Amino acid sequence: MTTVTVENINYKEEIRRKTSKPLMWMGIVSIIMFFGGLTSAVIVSQGGGSFLSIEMPFSFTISTFVIILSSLAFHVGLISINKGSYTIAKISVLITLLLGCLFVVTQYMGWVALYESGVYATGNQSTQESSFIYLLTALHVVHLIGGLVSLIVVLVKTMKQKYSLDNSLGMQVSITYWHFLGGLWIFLFFFLRYTIA
Amino acid sequence: MSTHHHHAKDFLFTYIFSTDHKMISKQFLVTGFLMGFLGLIMSTLFRLQLGWPGESFEMIEMLMGSWQEGGVMSPDKYLALVTMHGTIMVFFLLTAGLSGTFSNLLIPLQIGARDMASGFLNMLSYWFFFISCMLMLASLFVEGGAASAGWTIYPPLSALPEAIPGSGAGMTLWLVSMSIFIVSSLLGSLNYIVTIFNLRTKGMSMTRLPLTIWAFLLTAILGVLSFPVLLAAALLLVFDRSFGTSFYLSDIYIGGQVLDHTGGSPILFEHLFWFLGHPEVYIVLLPALGITSEIISTMSRKPIFGYRAMIGSMMAIAFLSFIVWGHHMFLTGMNPFLGSVFTFTTLLIAIPSAVKVFNYLTTLWKGNIVFTPATMFSVGLVSTFISGGVTGLILGNSALDINVHDTYFVVGHFHIVMGLSAIFGMFAGVYHWFPKLFGRMMNNKLGNIHFWITIVCAYGVFFPMHFLGFAGVPRRYYTNSEFPMFNEMIDINVFISICAIIALVGQLVFFFNFVYSAFRGPRAPQNPWKGNTLEWTAPVEHFHGNWYGEIPAVYRWPYDYSKVNAAGEYVYGEDYIPQTTPLGDDEKDGGEH
Amino acid sequence: MMTIIVAVAVILVIIAGSQLLKIAELRAQSKGELIYEVSEKEAKFQGILMLVFFISFMAFFAWQMCSWYGLRLPVSASVHGVDTDWLTGLTYIIITPTFILTNGILFFFCYKYSYSSTRKATFFSHSNKLEAAWTTAPALVLTVLILYGLSSWNAIMTPIPDETDHITIELTGQQFTWTARYAGEDKKLGRSHVTLIEGVNATGVDADDENAKDDKIVKGEFHLPIGMPVQFVFRSLDVLHSAYFPHFRSQMNCVPGITTQFNFIPTITTEEMRKITNNEKFNYVLLCNKICGAAHYNMQMDIVVESQEDYDKWLAEQKTFVE
Ligand code: HEM
Ligand SMILES: [Cu+2]
Ligand SMILES: [Cu+2]
Repeated sequence: MTTVTVENINYKEEIRRKTSKPLMWMGIVSIIMFFGGLTSAVIVSQGGGSFLSIEMPFSFTISTFVIILSSLAFHVGLISINKGSYTIAKISVLITLLLGCLFVVTQYMGWVALYESGVYATGNQSTQESSFIYLLTALHVVHLIGGLVSLIVVLVKTMKQKYSLDNSLGMQVSITYWHFLGGLWIFLFFFLRYTIA
Repeated sequence: MSTHHHHAKDFLFTYIFSTDHKMISKQFLVTGFLMGFLGLIMSTLFRLQLGWPGESFEMIEMLMGSWQEGGVMSPDKYLALVTMHGTIMVFFLLTAGLSGTFSNLLIPLQIGARDMASGFLNMLSYWFFFISCMLMLASLFVEGGAASAGWTIYPPLSALPEAIPGSGAGMTLWLVSMSIFIVSSLLGSLNYIVTIFNLRTKGMSMTRLPLTIWAFLLTAILGVLSFPVLLAAALLLVFDRSFGTSFYLSDIYIGGQVLDHTGGSPILFEHLFWFLGHPEVYIVLLPALGITSEIISTMSRKPIFGYRAMIGSMMAIAFLSFIVWGHHMFLTGMNPFLGSVFTFTTLLIAIPSAVKVFNYLTTLWKGNIVFTPATMFSVGLVSTFISGGVTGLILGNSALDINVHDTYFVVGHFHIVMGLSAIFGMFAGVYHWFPKLFGRMMNNKLGNIHFWITIVCAYGVFFPMHFLGFAGVPRRYYTNSEFPMFNEMIDINVFISICAIIALVGQLVFFFNFVYSAFRGPRAPQNPWKGNTLEWTAPVEHFHGNWYGEIPAVYRWPYDYSKVNAAGEYVYGEDYIPQTTPLGDDEKDGGEH
Repeated sequence: MMTIIVAVAVILVIIAGSQLLKIAELRAQSKGELIYEVSEKEAKFQGILMLVFFISFMAFFAWQMCSWYGLRLPVSASVHGVDTDWLTGLTYIIITPTFILTNGILFFFCYKYSYSSTRKATFFSHSNKLEAAWTTAPALVLTVLILYGLSSWNAIMTPIPDETDHITIELTGQQFTWTARYAGEDKKLGRSHVTLIEGVNATGVDADDENAKDDKIVKGEFHLPIGMPVQFVFRSLDVLHSAYFPHFRSQMNCVPGITTQFNFIPTITTEEMRKITNNEKFNYVLLCNKICGAAHYNMQMDIVVESQEDYDKWLAEQKTFVE
């Protein structure tokens, strides 16, 4: 056939360029609604009155600082890609990843501390509050693991120098998600502090 | 050998793991219809029990096998069937089947895009849906039977296998299946929204979008905002069931012992569930309304009346649907003031709904209505939307709801306004866009027969249910024979059941027409209904990318039907002006003269 | 054997159907027509069917009213029920004509404007006046319904104040029975909790509570005095139930872990109602109206409404909790 066929128009790339970020944003909206549902559940449950207050473990505070630092590091990575300095970019992404893992560790330490202070997630000694504190933090970590996977991909691509000033979409999407996770944690941290703990 | 291999791979990626929106649309359609058909058979089975309680039926024995030795349905299996019927109809047929089919087919084609924002996520969306269908069906065969707590799965009934056998493995599968379904639905919705906002062709402003697209957009937004909350609700239930938490359970004495759970509240579940559950009925309904708006305008050869009012009312409905969920909970002991607020917001929805109905009527007025089966089903939708909608004024009014809540009055109401309307919209869409889906035409005569059987039987099934409601007959009752006060209801029940059986048979006409036409129907021309929208400018054959060469640009709104100039002649000689026709010098856009 | 015959028949029908469709298509082709194009004649015919359908639909509606409307619940046997029935009636007066009229217009238009090759459709795309009119009209009607509705709702849901003379009854739902507990002389229900359930104490009444000592527990049937406000308190021991008193236009969910409440004033004795309904065997009944398990369809308790003296006599015969 002599007509222009669709195959020789590379529309897939264009679609990807136009939609990757909006897709991420919509994904974020649905995650917000998910946590919105759960946090409203906490509030509705407390309408009943009686709830014991739980001491927030100190390592959750550390988590907060860790995740803020990691977001900053990631941002430095993006800026250096735009400036073309790959070495700094590689190091920053690596640091982000390590801090991300450290975050998971501090969360785990937090759970251990909770458990040892007699706050149980399940069973007949658990209360709604004690279950919620584990559940909300754990679900955040589940979402964070998705973020870690994307970080690994970004790291590999940075190593291979796949990104450049006008080709860093993947990294930008990943960064959006990562900042969101940070924001979500900070929200959860204060939410739990003022409702349950 | 190598070509053979190539073929196999081609086949795999064209028909199975396709990322093309048109193929995915067909996958959703076929899967959705198959699920719907199963749901329909289930309803016929339990209608047999309701019409002729305690009698033995070969059909029941044949279909349910060792489940119901002797062909008499048992109470717990009755509840299992009702639950599966409701779940399948609402979620699998009318959420995934309806939105999945038409959002996928029409969004790229009508806005002028080559595909969805992410073909890959789109494919995942279908396959998650498929897996969730399989799990839901598998739950029929596990020990204890399928979930039996009603499609609303209120705990503690759904949480305790001691309370009903279906709350064992069956309920576990239900929850897993629904969670996967929710992920599927979210992936779909993200895609629809982003596609509509970002991939419109040149000239396709938001106010030139066909109403179908507006409806799909609002539906997807409702989905993204409400389904995650159901996921949260389901998750907490999973924890209560399997890990010993007490989110929903408290102070329960069952099976001779007190359970460990304290402090939870089933009301919490109801709040979370209905925060999805109410928007869900509009997730089901809005696409159908969008589809019929488009069809009624095209087939009556007139612009849709009040395009902006139609969009406005859909927005109002979508917005209000988030603040009315409490009308399902008037009788849970909620604060009466809260009940008043929910009454107020609920009854407000009647206003945009009424506007839509009047706009439909005015669109038909002085039209030139071409009665294809699609037109007929669209008219059917307007009728059911009216007939079911008016009774909403009783149910939404908390003072009146006290007496009809959870009776057959409700069953009649929601089947007509949501079930029938959405199904009619879906059928209308299939008849109308069949040429786009399969490149062939369906048979009109069979389509008309299908329509008449369906609407007659549908009203025959659901209208009498209001009278059961007047007599106070509760829903989800295995039989009404245990109460002397319901003795006289048996006539009504027999009548309903007979209509239901005929309705089932009537659907076979459709399935025959569908399958026959998909393979042997007459080949479709590019624009069989003389429509204005962009999908009719795309070639009949399917390929990735939708248009050869450039995507056409758009210059006008989609409803320039029968537009005449000062001399009373059609502006361009035909009674339709495709969106791709540039505006003439003295022409105005958007239905202005 | 039967199965084989059915299978063969189905296959034959399918083959015959396919052939017929093919023939119809070829015939249309030979006449130079397209089979999927709707002819004027066909459109007219469907238009007439639309009208026929509407008329039959209305006839069906009328027929149902004649044969089944009589099966509705008898007059309300509670004070507030008369109000809600009235408001329900008012709503029907509004929605029935709306239902008939809009459906009528719909099908009439379908008939009147069915396709004709000689007519042009009218290009009429919007009219602010019309749209404003049919936004305001429902809004006005709704205002009336909402105002009436809310005032009765608030009246119904307000608990009976302590000063008012009344009786208090606790209803406990459990798979699949109801238990009623009368507050007794002191008009106070004793505490109760599921952990106290033991043997005959099937609803877990706290024997150490002073208020519980004179409470009276009854099963199977319970009595109400006519004209006396009854404050109900609802509990559930296991799953959700819903206490539905259709004849009193009352209903409230029973939720495990919390208590809910509802009150009404019975106005018609069982005897009188038997006369009204012309049914010797008539009995008021309490149903369960929230899916609660396999025997949900048979979870009931009879209610007897009688004069104050009869009620007092009946109550005196019931044993107190400690007995
Ligand atoms: C001819 C077709 C159908 C028949 C005969 C039918 C019949 C019924 C009946 C009799 C019930 C009430 C059972 C009971 O309360 O004991 C019921 C429940 C239900 N139906 Fe249908 N139905 C049909 C189609 C549909 C459709 C198209 C929908 C889609 C919305 C639907 C959704 C539901 C739902 C959500 C329930 C409630 C299930 C529950 O109580 O948990 N049905 N159906
Ligand atoms: Cu609702
Ligand atoms: Cu019950």
